[in-house]
Amino acid sequence: MSHSHTFAVTVTAITQVTPLIKHFVLKAADGAQMPSFSGGSHVVVVMKGATRVYRNPYSLLSSPNDLSAYEIAVRRADQSRGGSVFMHDHVTVGMTLQIAHPVNLFQLDKLALKHVLFAGGVGITAIAAQLEDLKMGAVPYELHYSVRAPDHAAFADRLLARHGDRVRIYHDSAEHRIDIEGLVAAQPLGTHVYVCGPTPMIGRVLASARAAGWAESHIHWEQFSAPPVGDPFDVFLKKSNVKVSVLPDQSLLEAIEDAGVDAPYLCRGGVCGECKCRVLEVDGVLVHNDHYLSPEEKASGTLIMPCVSRAHGKNLVLDL
Amino acid sequence: MLIRGIKSKPVYTPLAPDLGGRTHLLVGFGVGAEPLTRLMADCTLAGVTKASRRLLYVTDKSASMAMHEMMRHADAGEVQLFKDSASLLSEFETILKASIMGTRLYVAGPEAFMGLVMRIAARFNLNRDEIRAEECGSPARRVHCIHCRAATEDVTTNIVQCVDCQRWLVVRDHYSRRLAAYMGVMIDAEVPGELPPIEEVFV
Ligand code: FES
Repeated sequence: MSHSHTFAVTVTAITQVTPLIKHFVLKAADGAQMPSFSGGSHVVVVMKGATRVYRNPYSLLSSPNDLSAYEIAVRRADQSRGGSVFMHDHVTVGMTLQIAHPVNLFQLDKLALKHVLFAGGVGITAIAAQLEDLKMGAVPYELHYSVRAPDHAAFADRLLARHGDRVRIYHDSAEHRIDIEGLVAAQPLGTHVYVCGPTPMIGRVLASARAAGWAESHIHWEQFSAPPVGDPFDVFLKKSNVKVSVLPDQSLLEAIEDAGVDAPYLCRGGVCGECKCRVLEVDGVLVHNDHYLSPEEKASGTLIMPCVSRAHGKNLVLDL
Repeated sequence: MLIRGIKSKPVYTPLAPDLGGRTHLLVGFGVGAEPLTRLMADCTLAGVTKASRRLLYVTDKSASMAMHEMMRHADAGEVQLFKDSASLLSEFETILKASIMGTRLYVAGPEAFMGLVMRIAARFNLNRDEIRAEECGSPARRVHCIHCRAATEDVTTNIVQCVDCQRWLVVRDHYSRRLAAYMGVMIDAEVPGELPPIEEVFV
């Protein structure tokens, strides 16, 4: 998938849900229905800033049964390279943005007999639409949602109203933490677990499930890493025969795209594997920031995920 | 006329302990005793506790009396022996209903038996990474009549008469996991009674 597959949407409403989170409603610019999607999908939003283009993935949190609009929530990350800050400071109602078609890398298992979902903070955005799908079905589900009180009260109220006692809200403090270990220790056969939230929470859910003997096919998680800021470096794209300079606050993928080279991507967060690229030459070290390549592949120095990873050194040649 | 080459026949591999599991459910039929005995020994070596293992076994005549005795005293926290597959399967289902995540299933026996076990396991959403199965014993097939939907058991020939509707069926290689059976299709539809030679092929 590349930017040629995007379509235009108009921002029709913006709400400040918490001091750090803004909620956006997007409608097709031509008034048509939005493309259908399943719970857990994300879209990549293309933002044209003054000096550069940002492309950030955001989960669709609106109901898959309502295709009149998409809803996304954006957490402002001042430390990041600017995409979320752009969404917060420069996007206004009535503005047109380009978005890519939804992709689902966090799907519900269709044969599950029960779903147990864990969300923390803004991670709820990846899970909210899944809950809408689950509400339509007959399979039991429960959500354990940890919030920093009273930050995310807005989401919590909406979920409680829609899903009642299938949703439990925890105020993230020492006395009121989710008993993740206890919850995964005694689930009936055929249960699937899903988690989206801060890194430590994902780690706890994965570790608890594995310790309780869960097989990998029943464990699902989503963690998009934002591409970290790093030192500038140069890269030569052999097939396209172009030399590209990657700025500190730019990802390698963004720099490649800015040079007019069409590189594949889906998640832009180091999880899907779509952007995997062969390294032909490297004089220096590769800085791997993805969750996709195995430790052996990372150590081999022959593969890189340009959406989040970088290089340190004089020379890098990619098979692009 | 035997329609070959439809490769939906399941593939099985030798049993080995899955150390990721917390409860190990072993299910066997007749000659399946041999791989299960090997598995229990490997489990002990690998540090899987006896208490975490449970064995269900059909004392079929494909295994010797001595083998049956060995299974009765098998190295597992709980051992249950059954006279036939039907009674084992009903107990198996009851156990799965009460089981929790972290369970691993090991199956050993003839293919027809394994198919029936797998069909129940699938209903509980046990996936490939939770099941290990080793085929041993008779390659006789369970045949599903596509006309009357009856199942004919223990079929060793290329052509068989359906137990229920009495049609002559050719046994295909097309296996259905949902039905736990191979498809049987009427063979003498054109000229009733005109049959190719019947041969023992699944022996
Ligand atoms: S685009 Fe998904 S891993 Fe890079």
